[in-house]
Amino acid sequence: MSDAFEFRLERMFADSPAMPDADLFTLEVMGRLDRGWTARRLVIGGMGAIGGLVGATQIVGSGALGQLHALSSQGNAYLAEQLSQVVPAGLSHGGIGLDVQTLWMIGALAIVAAGFGLVRLVREI
Amino acid sequence: MADRQSVASAHDLELVALGATGDRRAFGELVRRHSSAVRGLLRRMGADGATADDVAQDAFLAAFEQISDFRGQGAFQAWVKRIAARLYVKRWRREARDALLTDTDEGAMSAQASAEGGAATRIDLDAALATLSAPERVCVSLCYGAGLSHAEAAAALNAPLGTVKSHVKRGLDKLRARLAPEPGERREAHV
Repeated sequence: MSDAFEFRLERMFADSPAMPDADLFTLEVMGRLDRGWTARRLVIGGMGAIGGLVGATQIVGSGALGQLHALSSQGNAYLAEQLSQVVPAGLSHGGIGLDVQTLWMIGALAIVAAGFGLVRLVREI
Repeated sequence: MADRQSVASAHDLELVALGATGDRRAFGELVRRHSSAVRGLLRRMGADGATADDVAQDAFLAAFEQISDFRGQGAFQAWVKRIAARLYVKRWRREARDALLTDTDEGAMSAQASAEGGAATRIDLDAALATLSAPERVCVSLCYGAGLSHAEAAAALNAPLGTVKSHVKRGLDKLRARLAPEPGERREAHV
């Protein structure tokens, strides 16, 4: 229940004069907003770097690299065998330098490129 | 990002939509348009100039963070005012140390005396609010300035609903006596 005085009071509250320093206030708010975003980016970047460092230390310490190397060698041998059946000998051995490591690299780059493409596609949609 | 001219002429809801995509310029225009009203409300609640500006800045930053929650059911200004009023109440409660619960009525006697002495004189809202006790002022401002219901004000203040209602009633009575009625104004009840 509201009476006429209460409606009048609401109108009086709504009627507030423009402050002369409104532009300065806006600049201060936007400055704080920008500082907040910069700080957030720095914190996220720093946390990511620390996390990456810790992860790399753990991987090196656990001997996973040695296991990965062994797996990779087996994979390389298998891939080289398969490759020799489909690619002419001149190409795979010295022709254009297309060895197994290069193929792994190309595969990885293709995955990264596909990831970028997917992200771009999602943004466009 | 929208250009300066289109931002200046855009409706609040368009600016909110742009702000939700991270457009700083659009949000800056919203701040420019509504900051005076938000700062004014906080001063009317009893905040000094520096505190009002500080809380208003916090309110706009919070509004930017939560802007996707604003569905446009009401005016953007009313939404930010509610955020600002709640933020100020939090700070006020810390500083007032539960003044609401002790229910002290400092300033009430002088307000009563001056209200009786000058009921016929029309004075502006700011001067009239200054004669209320701090809890009355905050409660009245929350309900009539920020548009909170009594229950919402009680929740924001973490105070019993009855206490808030009594502060609002006492504050209204004083303001009614202090602010001379407008021509043709009667005490008609509306739902």
